[in-house]
Amino acid sequence: MMSLPANHLLCIALLLMVVPAAACASPVTRSLSTAEPGAGEVFTVLLSIEGMTLGGVVETLPAGYAFVATDLADDRVLARGQQVAFAVMNDSRITYQVRAPASGSGDITGRWEDFLGESDGQVAASHVAADGIEAPVESGGGDPVPPAAQETGSPFAVLAAVAALLLASGRGGRR
Amino acid sequence: MNRRCLLALALLLIVAVPASASAMDGTPGDVDGDRVLTSAEYASAALTYLDAAYMGGAGDLTRTDIRDAAWVSAHWDGRPCEITDSSGRTTTLYRPLRRVVTFSGESLETLRSLGFDMEKVVAVDKYSHGKKTFFPECQGKANVGSIWSPDMEQVLILRPDAVFLYATISTATCDDIQKRLEASSPGIRVFRFDCFKPATYPGEIRTIASAVGQKERGEEFAAFYESTMNRIRDGAAGIPDDERVRVYFEYWFDYTTVAAGAGYNEKTRLAGGVNPFATGTAEYPVVDPEAIIVTDPEVVVKLAGQGLAVGGYAGHDIAAFDAIRAGMLERPGWSSISAVKDDRVYVIHSDILGGAQHFIGTAYLAKWFYPDRFADLDPHAVHQRYLTGFQGIDFDLASEGTFVYP
Repeated sequence: MMSLPANHLLCIALLLMVVPAAACASPVTRSLSTAEPGAGEVFTVLLSIEGMTLGGVVETLPAGYAFVATDLADDRVLARGQQVAFAVMNDSRITYQVRAPASGSGDITGRWEDFLGESDGQVAASHVAADGIEAPVESGGGDPVPPAAQETGSPFAVLAAVAALLLASGRGGRR
Repeated sequence: MNRRCLLALALLLIVAVPASASAMDGTPGDVDGDRVLTSAEYASAALTYLDAAYMGGAGDLTRTDIRDAAWVSAHWDGRPCEITDSSGRTTTLYRPLRRVVTFSGESLETLRSLGFDMEKVVAVDKYSHGKKTFFPECQGKANVGSIWSPDMEQVLILRPDAVFLYATISTATCDDIQKRLEASSPGIRVFRFDCFKPATYPGEIRTIASAVGQKERGEEFAAFYESTMNRIRDGAAGIPDDERVRVYFEYWFDYTTVAAGAGYNEKTRLAGGVNPFATGTAEYPVVDPEAIIVTDPEVVVKLAGQGLAVGGYAGHDIAAFDAIRAGMLERPGWSSISAVKDDRVYVIHSDILGGAQHFIGTAYLAKWFYPDRFADLDPHAVHQRYLTGFQGIDFDLASEGTFVYP
């Protein structure tokens, strides 16, 4: 039996692992009809959504894999290259179809944004391999970068900061 | 004004104007400009944003834009929200309030009752700032002074999209603040609400609830408030004039009472009491001690609070309330007063009678005036439910604060 301090350490370690995971729980999870589609086979991706009424999901497919269709209305979907964006509007599930290449494997990655909840994060990656054969192909674009920069660096804030520095250094006033 | 001050002021304007002006541009995503963000327009906006943010597209909607569009779609059905405040002025909102400054503790408290995200309150008045127990979350916020001595520079630095002021008290000073704000930053929305008057509070609750997208919560809170106030009104309605209890209501200061224009008189009347000194011209007249004895009040209510600083949310001090009451009982000639003979002298704190919590204090008055008629009214339970269910603060009335005695 472990000593009491060892027990404590184990509990703390477990908490450190569990708490961040719980705090960052994703409202979007992905499942695939198959992770090993046949060459050229169309398989289905299911996005299950919980606790996000108005938001968005951007999926990035591995190179060679092609978006085919979705059950969402056309005006709520946008495909560009290896990426597909879905406008989530009170949906609890979104399905879309993907055609596998003749060969190749990789991860389907994704990002979600909850516009009302004002949070965002990643959808856990799903690995897929045509015919079950691991044959890495070139990146399909990688995971998109969150747009943090869009909210900062307004010209007014920059201007104010520069001026404040000037003031603080005494250069803006009469000596 | 030296050059440094001029430069600082100019910068304030540069920083303040664009932030609030965006609130006047309409709802993001309303591309046809018909003031309605349709479901299709919203979906298009969402995709435009996602495209620009993650897929290399060229849209110009920011994260704040799309969040605002989603909010308007969810809470206002995609339409602008027209708010008519208690000064009678109508303001159109196209986006949610994100940076709020309150010069009124009552409005601040009402916002919290409505579940407004207090993170979006960027500054409060100095009195609310000083209430460490009741507004703990405001301790880290900016302090913009009071309506009598506002820190306008601080307000402008904070770039608020909305500022809350009183509607019908200190109107000249509030008008002046409003004028200065609107002159320096035209996009700022100034809202005027009292949030302490029984006659207007239910309407104000619902109006503010609409503004902050909390209509359901507003209905729930208004119903809670009205259930107490209507119980009091209904209970007092059938009492013949000659059977109404005579009440001497004493303000913080000895022998200072309340007259017709004072809110405390209104609450005394609502609870079914009759104030023999209501006809005074001043709101808080000083009365001749002999006159109190002559009127022979059946109930005496003494107010504790700012001018008699004991108890309330700031302290659990029953002994202090007991001392106040004991002092009154020993006043010359008071042993002959009915209220003293019948042991009906009470102390109440202004925290639950003067502001947004007036319904709690009024319930205590009703209970003291007519214990049989209001036997089923439980002001203590109403108070605790208000704190726990609407204010969301961890405050146990059984062991914290002192509000009434005995």
